[in-house]
Order: sequence, then structure tokens, then C-alpha cells
Amino acid sequence: MSRDDVDRRTFLQYGGAAAATAASVGLAGCGDSGNGNGNGNGDGETDTPTPSGAEAELREYDGELPEDPTREQVLQHANGVSNELAPWVFLHQQYSIYGVNNDLEWTARADEDINVKEISTQRDEITITQGQLAPTLDPVGDNSTSTYNVIDQGYEPFLYRDRDGRPIALIVTDWERTSEQEVRLTIRDDVTFHNGDGMTAEDVAYSINRANNPDVSDVASTIGDINEASEVDGDVVLDLNSLEPAIFRNLTAFGRVVEKSWVNDNDGEIADVMNGTGPYELDEYVDDTRVAYTQFDDYWGETPDPQSVTFTAIPENGPRVDALIAGDTDLIVNVRPNDIPDVQEAEGVRYEDTPSTRLIFLVMNDAFEPFDSQEFRQAMNFAVDVESIINNILNEFGDQTSQPTLPGHNGHNPDVDPYPHDPARAEALVEESGHAGAELELHVPRGRYLRDVDIAEACASQIDELENVSCEVNRREFANLVSELVAEQSESPAFFLIGWGNPTLDANYAMGPWFTEGAFQHFNNQELADLLEQANNIPSGSE
Amino acid sequence: MGFAKFLAKRCLQGILVIWGVVTVVFFLRFLTPGDPTSALVPPDAGQEVRDRLRENLGLDEPLYVQYYDYLTDLAVGDFGQSMAINREVSSLILARLPATIELAVASTIVAIVIAIPLGVISARRRHEPVDYGATLFSLFGISTPNFWLGVMLIIFVAVHVDFLPTTGRQMALSTAAAALVTEGSVSELGRWAAQLVLPAITLGTYFTALITRLTRSGMLEEINKAYVKACRAKGLPETLTLYKHVLRNTLIPIITVLGLQLGTLIGGAVITESIFAWPGLGRFLITSINNRDWTSIQGTIIVIGAGFVVINIAVDALYAYLDPRVVAD
Repeated sequence: MSRDDVDRRTFLQYGGAAAATAASVGLAGCGDSGNGNGNGNGDGETDTPTPSGAEAELREYDGELPEDPTREQVLQHANGVSNELAPWVFLHQQYSIYGVNNDLEWTARADEDINVKEISTQRDEITITQGQLAPTLDPVGDNSTSTYNVIDQGYEPFLYRDRDGRPIALIVTDWERTSEQEVRLTIRDDVTFHNGDGMTAEDVAYSINRANNPDVSDVASTIGDINEASEVDGDVVLDLNSLEPAIFRNLTAFGRVVEKSWVNDNDGEIADVMNGTGPYELDEYVDDTRVAYTQFDDYWGETPDPQSVTFTAIPENGPRVDALIAGDTDLIVNVRPNDIPDVQEAEGVRYEDTPSTRLIFLVMNDAFEPFDSQEFRQAMNFAVDVESIINNILNEFGDQTSQPTLPGHNGHNPDVDPYPHDPARAEALVEESGHAGAELELHVPRGRYLRDVDIAEACASQIDELENVSCEVNRREFANLVSELVAEQSESPAFFLIGWGNPTLDANYAMGPWFTEGAFQHFNNQELADLLEQANNIPSGSE
Repeated sequence: MGFAKFLAKRCLQGILVIWGVVTVVFFLRFLTPGDPTSALVPPDAGQEVRDRLRENLGLDEPLYVQYYDYLTDLAVGDFGQSMAINREVSSLILARLPATIELAVASTIVAIVIAIPLGVISARRRHEPVDYGATLFSLFGISTPNFWLGVMLIIFVAVHVDFLPTTGRQMALSTAAAALVTEGSVSELGRWAAQLVLPAITLGTYFTALITRLTRSGMLEEINKAYVKACRAKGLPETLTLYKHVLRNTLIPIITVLGLQLGTLIGGAVITESIFAWPGLGRFLITSINNRDWTSIQGTIIVIGAGFVVINIAVDALYAYLDPRVVAD
């Protein structure tokens, strides 16, 4: 059974910000930009291609599923199959680009987390600027990367993850699956809340239950198929409703440790005040303006370098870069590729980039013709020239992809190559599909992802160049597009560009929501659904 | 009709207008497709979660009951809960109102201080270099978009010269004033003013250009009237004639424009607020629209509308003071 993941409100955060925010994590990996296999008759002639000159040959995936496979092997196979079925046009893995003051030593993370703990500096005070601040300080009130970056200096998740996405100890020091539907968490005994109270297992159990309560939490469905968390002999035991193989990964991303009695006493104030276990305690919160922290003296872990840290928000890209160059801030997010020269030329600042966990792709909704045809869907993949888009529009800040799961994520299949650009083969496949003459409309959210509209325009014009298909772009407001796509599949657009971040770095999160029953489903294929179901019933150890 | 009666009539009209705004904004929500609760619950939430939420929000009631509830809540200043985050809309708006008012007033002051003297000088030295200079400046001001001017000001004044902060409202006027009163510290007030300079210039430039032109043409129209000749014949100094008598009559149309502009600035400073990361109502409205946060959208529009009405009444009152003929309509 596939859990349906993302809370829609995650998607509705700040459509005006350039970068998407669905809480996201991932792992730095370099998508191979190797040329695809099975080049039908791609002689590169794109001027006057003739359908008759190319083989209308479907691309196939010939990987075999071994006997008694591991969960990872099943997911890899599912990724291979999805490359062959081509449910969407695989485009690229998006990069995150930061601007950093040279007084700060910091390496960007693929999961887009900014942890002040990981910054080395001689400076006492630093300022970090994002496109938006946190609309609430409630740790389960808003499931988005930018909000987590702000609140995670004060609140801590149950587990954390290394830069490869594997769970590592934080508040929880030991974690094991004690039976099919039960896991046990051992917690630290030396943790103090900012108000001076000691943290107990009961607090942790309460925090998990609160994160799982749809009445107050934005991550209720996302944290996992949990029946209840309870305190047992000083440990925390989770009673699950199903196997939930990714439970430990989920605990690195969703929910934060809060104090039970404090939440009950401060009900209604949680959005504006803070009492966590993190290395910094809240100094001042001015809505939409800044969140200021100072070091917490009784932090259980290592004391971080900066004495104080302030988060601010500048929604416009240009002024955000200007603020960094002027020295008004020390670390900024979402530097556009065309602003990089300014950062390079300026004194005392630099840029940092890393592949993010976000995949940008074109969804082909199989509830509509011609996208119910595998030939036609593959044709779209052959028609789009992803490499030219990455080079010309993204200034090379992107990696071509071949499958829903990004390199380095659990279940990524390294044996699958991206589709090559082959318009002749695309035309032949369109002819084969019986949908020659199709007129397409590609919907694209405006200003949500890096150069989203330009990318969509390029894709549409490349598809439009085929002799037997025409395509035009429809620019949309992000919120409206999302409200349509989470409705019934038959009410969703037939063809649209979207980005999908993966906070769990697990293939199930990349595929489950889109290929199995639920709000995001846009593709129906029994084989793929069975593979995902199979993977969900194999335990995954402590990862 | 006396002044008090005139004002009472205007206030009554204002209340009717605000009621109209509230009604339109309330029913607007039902004209937009989609269930308002869909923004509030996870897409995979079951029907019972949705139903409970609809009940909590009163969305299961008949429309007239909802409308009545909304009006009665508004009467006591309750705009409801934000749909994006768990907060009162009234507190969200209140938190942003000072920033918006500071910026609107500051840019209006910039406009008045520069435009009126410039307009008067222009009119007095018609067809001289000063006049041409002022005309050129007005042309520039009217045709320069805020998004360009704001960014240019940041790059040159804040980044290259490093004279003023780049962006952001790091301090409220109340904070700076408190520091002045309790510690006698003027430097805080200076910091507060410094952060306002660039956004106020950006927002005020178009406005300055407009008022300059208006003042100039108004003065030229007045200057040839009989009473001016009489003043001059009496031997009044030219400066006194111009600034006391001519300007006062010229000001009447200018005040109308000022009032309307001030109203526009309260809700219309979206671009400038975004560029300068200024946490005002305009930016909040855009954010709310992006979030489909209906209650916040409604609340913000009502507050902006009410601001317009209040300013208009103030303008009318000022008008009546400057030109007693207005009252006797």
C-alpha cells in the first residue's frame, strides 16, 4: 500500500519564490550525461526529418528482477521499468546555488538544509537570508525547506541524516525494528529544553503523535503510517499500521522534539514562541522580518561557532545578491546562474552549488489521449533535447536524468541511461502510436522553479518542431495548477511541468505518489504498481 | 450646511462603501472554483477530515448565515483564522500595517518636500533652464518603473557607495521612538530613517514627478487671475504672493491627488515592498494570493479599502477647510 505523501499546503507555499519548497532532501550525485542507448537512426538531422527514415522502435529495459530480491533491487527494477514505460519526460536534477561570505566555512548540502552547527567561522554574529522566512515557528505547522532552515536552529528532529541521506543519531541514539509493525527508539538522557526542563521519552512520543495528528500537523500523513507512539521503559515504541519500510528516513525529515507540558501550557502561542532542544534559543521573532537566535548554554551537543544568528528574508533574487555583496548578510539561497558572475567579481564572497534532491519533469497524464500510448510518451522523451536546455538555459547547473529516482537515492538504477535527443525516431513513434497531428498544451507554473517558463518554452518548441505534433505553452499560477493536479486525475491537465523534491531520498517517495492511487496519481500501470507494493512489503533494516 | 453635517454625511457614505467592499469580497470567494478547505488539508485526507474542517469553519452553514457571521465578527475586529497558518488574520494584518504606513507616509513626504517647491520654481521661471530641468526630471520620474529604480538604487547607493542598508525593515518606528524616550538615543532613530530612504525614494519618485507637473500647471493657471494682480498692485512681495495666496489655491487639486495616491500606496506598494523586503500589506496580499489563503486575502482587501475611505474623508475635510465653497454644495 502506498502512503500518499506530500501535504498539499507544502506545495502552496510562496509560489512567488523562485525555488520550490516541498520539503526536500537528497544527495549530491552527478547524473551521468551519457548518451542513451538504442539510437534508432539519430543522424542528428533535425532540419527535414522524415518519419520513414527512422525505425519506430520502442525503447526497452531488459533488466531482470533476481530471485528473492532486496527492497533496493525491487525499486531499481521499478525505475528501469519506468524508464521504458516513460510516464513522464525526464528532464533534469535541479541544482541549489548559494552565495556565501568568505568568513564562513560551509559546504552546501544536497538536502538544502542549512545547519548553523555546520558553519565554521571566527565571527560572533552571522545573518542568513532566504526568499522567505518561516510563516510559523510551530515545528509541524509548515512542511517546507525554508521553514525548517529557520526553526531547526532551535528545534531538533528525532534522527538526522548524513550527506548521503542515511539516518544518523541525534535525539534518538539507537533505532531498531523489533517486529514487522513495531520499531523501538532509544533516546538521549542528557537533553535539556530551552526553558531548563529535561527531555523525557514521553516528550518524544508526544512529539511524534503530535506530528501525526492531522488537526494540528502539516506532516500527519507524511511522517508515516503510525498508529501510535508511546513511552515504554524509557524508550519510545512506535506501533505501525503497516510495514512502513522508510520509517527511519521519515523520522529524519518530519516532526521535531517538543515538550509535552510546554505545548499544553502555550497552546495558541506555539506559532510565535519556541522551546526546543537545539543549539540556539529564540531571541526575537518578527513575522515576515526576522528570526534572531543566541547560543543555548545548556545544549547537549557541541557548541557551534557563531554566538548569534539571524534569519531574514528578501523575496527578490537580485536584491538578495546585492545584500550579500554589500555585507548586509552572510549566506543567501537561490542565486540564479546569471547572477553568479556578480558574486564571483565581488570582494569577499563566493558561490557554492550542489545538486539538490529535486527532479524537474513533464507529467503526461495517461487519463487523456495521446498520453495513454507508450509510443507517444516515449516519442516525447526522444523529442526533447535536455542537454541543450541544461547548457543554454540553466548554464550547466543541472544534470540530465533517466528515471524518477535521482542518483545516489535509495533505489536509483545506475544501468538506465537518459533518452537521447532523436527527433526522427520521435516522429516515427508518433506515427506508430496513431496520434499523428496531436495538438498539445504544456502547462507550466510561473516563477516556481529555476527558469521554469523558459524550460517549458524550450520543450514545447522542440516538440512543436516534430512534423506530426504541435505544442504550445500555457503559463499558470502555481497554486491554481496544484489545486487541479491534486484533484481527480481526469480533472488534472494532460501535460504539465512540475518539480518534485525528495526529503526521504527513497525511490518510493519519488514514484509512489505519482504511480499509485492517491491525490498525485497521473499514471496507471499494474506492473509498476505491483513493484512498488512489493517494495513496501520488504523491511529495509535500519536505513 | 455646516462643516460638522458635511463630515457626518461623508462618514456615513464611507461606511456604506466599506460595507460594499466587505460584501463583494465575501461573495468573491464563492465565485472562485475549488473548495476552500482543499488548501487546508493534505490531498489524501479522508472525507471525514474535510467535513469536520468544513464544520469548524462554518462552511456547512447556509450562505446567508455565513455572511451574517462574517459581518458580526468583522464588527468586533475578528477577521477569522488564516487558512495557510494557524493564526488570527487580524494579528497578521496589524503586524504589517505599521510598515506599510511608514513607507506610504515617507514616500508622500518625499514627494511633497521635493515636488511643491520644484513646481513653484518651474512656474515662476517658465521656459528657463530650471523649468526645462524640472520637466526632464518629471518625465524621468513618471516613466521609470519601480522595479528598475529600486534595483538601481540598491546597486549604486547601497552596494557601491555602501551608504545605506540594502533592504529590509530591521526596526519599527515604535522601537526607535522607545529608544529615544527611554535612553535618549538618537542613533536608533537615524537607523530607522536610513532603512526607509531608498524604498521611500523608489515609491515616491513617480509621485514626485506627478505633483511637480500638477503644481506647475496649477500655478500658471492661478498666476494670471485678477486677485494676483491685486496683490501685486498692493505691493506685496512676490514670494509672499506666490507662496501664500497662489499656492493655497493651487493646493486644492493637489490634495485630491495626494489622498488618492496615499490610498494607492497602502495596497499598491507590492513591487517596492518585494524589492526592499519590506514587510507590508502589499507583499502580504501577494503571499496570501499565492497561498490561496482566502481569509487573509479578504481581511487585507477590507483593510486597504477602509484605508482608502478614511483617507478620502480626510481629504474632503481638508478641502472644505481650504475652500469653504465645497461645504455649501
